[in-house]
Amino acid sequence: MVTESYSDEKERELVKASIDGDKDAFGKIVRHYRKMVAATVKGMLGDSVFTEDIGQEVFIKLYYSLRDFRGDSKLSTYIQRIAVNMTLNELKKRKKVTSLFSQKGDDEIYEMDIPVTDAAERRDAEEIVNKALLALDPGFRIVVTMRLLQGYSTRETAEILEIPEGTVLSRLSRAQEQLRHILKKL
Amino acid sequence: MNRSEIKELIISSLEADADPQDFSSKLEREGVHYDFKNEFTDAVLDKILPAVLRINREIEFARYLFFAFRSIAISGIAAIILLLISIFLREGSISFDSFLGLRDNYDESIVCLLTGN
Repeated sequence: MVTESYSDEKERELVKASIDGDKDAFGKIVRHYRKMVAATVKGMLGDSVFTEDIGQEVFIKLYYSLRDFRGDSKLSTYIQRIAVNMTLNELKKRKKVTSLFSQKGDDEIYEMDIPVTDAAERRDAEEIVNKALLALDPGFRIVVTMRLLQGYSTRETAEILEIPEGTVLSRLSRAQEQLRHILKKL
Repeated sequence: MNRSEIKELIISSLEADADPQDFSSKLEREGVHYDFKNEFTDAVLDKILPAVLRINREIEFARYLFFAFRSIAISGIAAIILLLISIFLREGSISFDSFLGLRDNYDESIVCLLTGN
């Protein structure tokens, strides 16, 4: 499911044109990488109405930071980093909101995630994957999303998350343990 | 694939020696794929439109500035060349003093002009 990157030359061409105000060039980048960003955002946050907005914010942030893109890494890696950071920030915000409401002692905790919609109509595989991912700790969820949904290797995941490969492997191993328990209940 | 096979696939995909692309492709074949709504790209482009317009205005301004500078520079160089030609025709040679309008002889007309006598 890994979105193929553009060739270096094509990538530079599109980035330069986008910086120079070519809307169509940036449109090509969005169309090419939208599924990759959708997998990261929806894998991490669940399939809710808010994920569309966060996906849009990822590309808007990308547009404004294109001048800072030096080409040291691939554009796909750069976009993934933005998507990961934004989803982690969103998770932090949600955690704050949830704890705020629970401190007030409300019976009904504010829940921003709309549960997987129309589960009955969805295919089993998608339902299982979504439910399992959402039940995981966010720290594990991100490495599982990178591997399971995006098909990234350990090295690629480490590069995107800017953590050592050993950390990725240990998180995968612990996520696997957690998933065994989660999947038994599903 | 039935539910238990899918669960097993998820678990085994996290093994250190697993081929991640193989597992993600299998999941995709089982209908696990993600995308945004159809109008997603247009919505993003609409939101960056003000920035695009601003960049285009800046580029246009820089282009006009460059043309203006080039026109002024060409006119200036042409004027200097004409001045040098006219000096050469009048004096028979070109020196720095003659270029600045300085001569060896004492020019009374300047004194008259300055003092009024």
